[in-house]
Amino acid sequence: MGAQPAGVGETVLTLDRVSKRFSEAAAVDSVSLSIRRGEVFTLLGPSGCGKTTTLRLVAGLERPDAGEITLRDRVVASAARRHFVAPNQRNLGMVFQSYAVWPHMTVFENVAYPLQLRGLPKAAVREKVARVLDLVGLGGTESRPGTRLSGGQMQRLALCRALVYEPDLLLLDEPFSNLDAKLREQMRVEVKLLQRRLGITVLFVTHDQVEALSLSDRLAVMHRGRVEQVGSPRALYERPASAFVRDFLGQTVVLSGSVAAPASGSGPGRVTVAMNGTLTGCTLTGRNAAEAALAPGAAATIAIRPEDIQVAPDDRGPREAHHLLGAIDALSFVGDRYEARVSFGGEHGIVLLLTRAREWREGERVRLGFPPELVTVWPA
Amino acid sequence: MAGLSDALAAPRPRRLELPGVLCTLVLAAVALCVVFPLLLVALQSLQVAPPGQPARYGLDGWRAALGEPGLRAALVNTLTVTFARQLISLPLAVLIAWLLARTDLPGRSWIEFGFWAAFFLPPFTVTLAWILLLDPEYGLVNTSIAALPFVGAGPFNIYSFWGIVWVHVVTGSLTVKVILLTPAFRNMNAAFEEASRVAGAGTLRTALRITVPVMAPAILSVLLLGTMVSLQTFEVEQVLGLPFRFFVFSTTIYDLLVTRVPRYDAATALAVLILAAMLPLVFAQQWLTRGGRYTTVTGQFQSRVHALGRARVPVTIGVLALVVVVLGVPVAFALLGTFMKLFGFFHVPDPWTLANWRTVLGDELFLRSLHNTLVLSIGTAVAAILVHSLIAYIVVRTSYAGRRLLDFVSWLPFTVPGIILGLALLWLFLGVAFLRPLYGTTTLLIIAGVIAGMPLGVQIIRSGLMQLGAELEEASRIAGATWWTTYRRIILRLMAPTLLAVGMITFVGAARNIGNFALLTTTANRPLSILQLDYVAQRKFEEAVVVACIIMFVSLAGALFARLLGLRSGLG
Repeated sequence: MGAQPAGVGETVLTLDRVSKRFSEAAAVDSVSLSIRRGEVFTLLGPSGCGKTTTLRLVAGLERPDAGEITLRDRVVASAARRHFVAPNQRNLGMVFQSYAVWPHMTVFENVAYPLQLRGLPKAAVREKVARVLDLVGLGGTESRPGTRLSGGQMQRLALCRALVYEPDLLLLDEPFSNLDAKLREQMRVEVKLLQRRLGITVLFVTHDQVEALSLSDRLAVMHRGRVEQVGSPRALYERPASAFVRDFLGQTVVLSGSVAAPASGSGPGRVTVAMNGTLTGCTLTGRNAAEAALAPGAAATIAIRPEDIQVAPDDRGPREAHHLLGAIDALSFVGDRYEARVSFGGEHGIVLLLTRAREWREGERVRLGFPPELVTVWPA
Repeated sequence: MAGLSDALAAPRPRRLELPGVLCTLVLAAVALCVVFPLLLVALQSLQVAPPGQPARYGLDGWRAALGEPGLRAALVNTLTVTFARQLISLPLAVLIAWLLARTDLPGRSWIEFGFWAAFFLPPFTVTLAWILLLDPEYGLVNTSIAALPFVGAGPFNIYSFWGIVWVHVVTGSLTVKVILLTPAFRNMNAAFEEASRVAGAGTLRTALRITVPVMAPAILSVLLLGTMVSLQTFEVEQVLGLPFRFFVFSTTIYDLLVTRVPRYDAATALAVLILAAMLPLVFAQQWLTRGGRYTTVTGQFQSRVHALGRARVPVTIGVLALVVVVLGVPVAFALLGTFMKLFGFFHVPDPWTLANWRTVLGDELFLRSLHNTLVLSIGTAVAAILVHSLIAYIVVRTSYAGRRLLDFVSWLPFTVPGIILGLALLWLFLGVAFLRPLYGTTTLLIIAGVIAGMPLGVQIIRSGLMQLGAELEEASRIAGATWWTTYRRIILRLMAPTLLAVGMITFVGAARNIGNFALLTTTANRPLSILQLDYVAQRKFEEAVVVACIIMFVSLAGALFARLLGLRSGLG
């Protein structure tokens, strides 16, 4: 992750049980978060989960109905005390989904606008604008109309405009969603490098889990206006606290069964599940993801990331524990690997990624290993 | 429509904060200038004492109004004229808007300008021009046809129901619809049409099955607007209807007001009736423009044009002929009329003269009126841009509790005939102590002009604002700008074309306004539009048509100016 900038640990932004309703529906429901100096914090969730509303509450573009928002020891919105600081007095930077590059201004004028509002002398404005434009490789475009740039350039311009006055916090509202796939990846890396170099604090909103995982120091998964889980990308990916977080972050293979009697050999916290359907007779073991112990006989599901399943050709050897046998139904070559649908005899199948080190065939029988340390068991 | 909106995932309208005090101030000012006068009108309808005597309240006015023998006829006439106007002009306007916006019609941008310019022509001037052509005895068309062998008399009579309908169609009805609908058609997402073409439909079927239904909200909105305007027209009926005792609502009211003892009670009772009839139309209009019904047609798409193919030549000729009828004929004949010794009489020996121009231009009254008109029109345009944009902004962008009310109130000036609004303003300015000094000043006329232009001005700015992404404003707020700075440096700049268009429309509206000003002017603040009316009243038609021509040229200059600034505006 690179060297952490100085001052890490100091809290820049705190949300304390913040709620916002639109007519009857709660868009944001009692959300509490705290964001530390120098980190990239991401709000991740499907559309309509309240992440953009949360961001707009922080920006001051919406007023909270309940709760309190604190920005660097200054309360900027408090429903209880009827206190509200206008967006222009919060010293935040924001990059909008549409970039919101002002079409009636040139590149220079767009970036200079916030500095002029802060009453900087002309020379200082020119110098600061030139420096920030150079930083993102837009030097030389100063006199072009802001909207006569390519998508990636407009994005950089919007970023410059948000950064040029060194805001306390940079807000990014799905800034990559209007870019094509290649450019998106490139901008992601650029933003991350820039953030590390300048040590700015970023609150980032996205529905794209790849963006969220790759860009964040910490992230919060939101669902129906609530925060489901907060943690580092790796912690959330590997130890999701809820089925929603598990399924939203990355791919998951889920199979159902019921809790078997505690079997010998399973360690502490381990649960063995007897599979049902066409897999009746097979058992898999994994870590209990729920807080409570699972009673024998209760319906349960096992979950595992597809890349954690060990796939081998079926050599018709003896049946082993923690293995299932299946057949490749459909196989497609997607460049760096194969994508295979493996079924267990019934209608349902699971989708796996297979290495291209071996030639696979449709109809081939495979042996799937489910390492107990990577399998989780959830109450159904 | 809901399905389409959902498919395009229209974002929830965003509400920004504008200090509630300012909003309330605007609402209060608008209420004082619009609602209060209308309440005075309603109150006046119950005040039955003749002018100059102590007030006495009763239902005599209503009885007189409802018992007025001509009322039934006026009601029928108003409705039938309105219906005939809309029936002819709407399909024609939709067709022309579609041709201008969605096909490769040659010279379409100049043709569109032709309709723009025609929209700016004062109805009074146009009416005079058509009299020259269609007068049953002396009209040039009639005398030409009568000169043909085997034809007895000319077939046309402008002093008739169809004469009135004709003049209406070629003045306001058609052109206003074309200039409002064309931008809306232009902004429609071409993908809707392309999907239909790919699915196997031809150009015509696509237009009828896809384009027109998708545009239905805009078309309906224009129809409602047109109907409201029709219900309160005045000049055309006053000039053409009087000779054959054909009255509509507004001329009946005028008749009640200009008799020796004005019947304010009966006139205002009739006005209240019209107001009541208009309210459902206002509610329908508001329902249409609310809640993203327009979001199906946003400007972010490339709109591609259809090839007309073999129909190109005949269609072009047809549309050009229409431009000649709505623009060329009135301009040419109004101008011709100014050079006639006796207006409308082509067959007198040596009918041409320059004396009319000399008389008018040498008249000191004229110069003062010209000055008044210019001050009035420019003042109205500037004030209208500020007031209308503020109202539109509050309605579209803020979460102010009274924004719906403000939106509704901004429609009210359309709900009563101009002459009644003028009368109501007269009572307001004579009745309220701190406004009394304004009587007889041009400021008073500017206020009247801003109010008269309010419904159209607010609506045009409003639809422009709805297309302007809220994020452009929000970005400015986040960058540290106050609301006022954002309004000045972002909103006004981005809305400049729309605002200038509204400015031009109100400029021209004020230059030619008769109904609202007729009762508010004194010799000190009399503008050209009232001067021409005074000339008519003195039977000086030749002078009147000279003044009408000058108003027309001021209007056309306005249209050209707007065009040079590259303005395009409308609903959608």
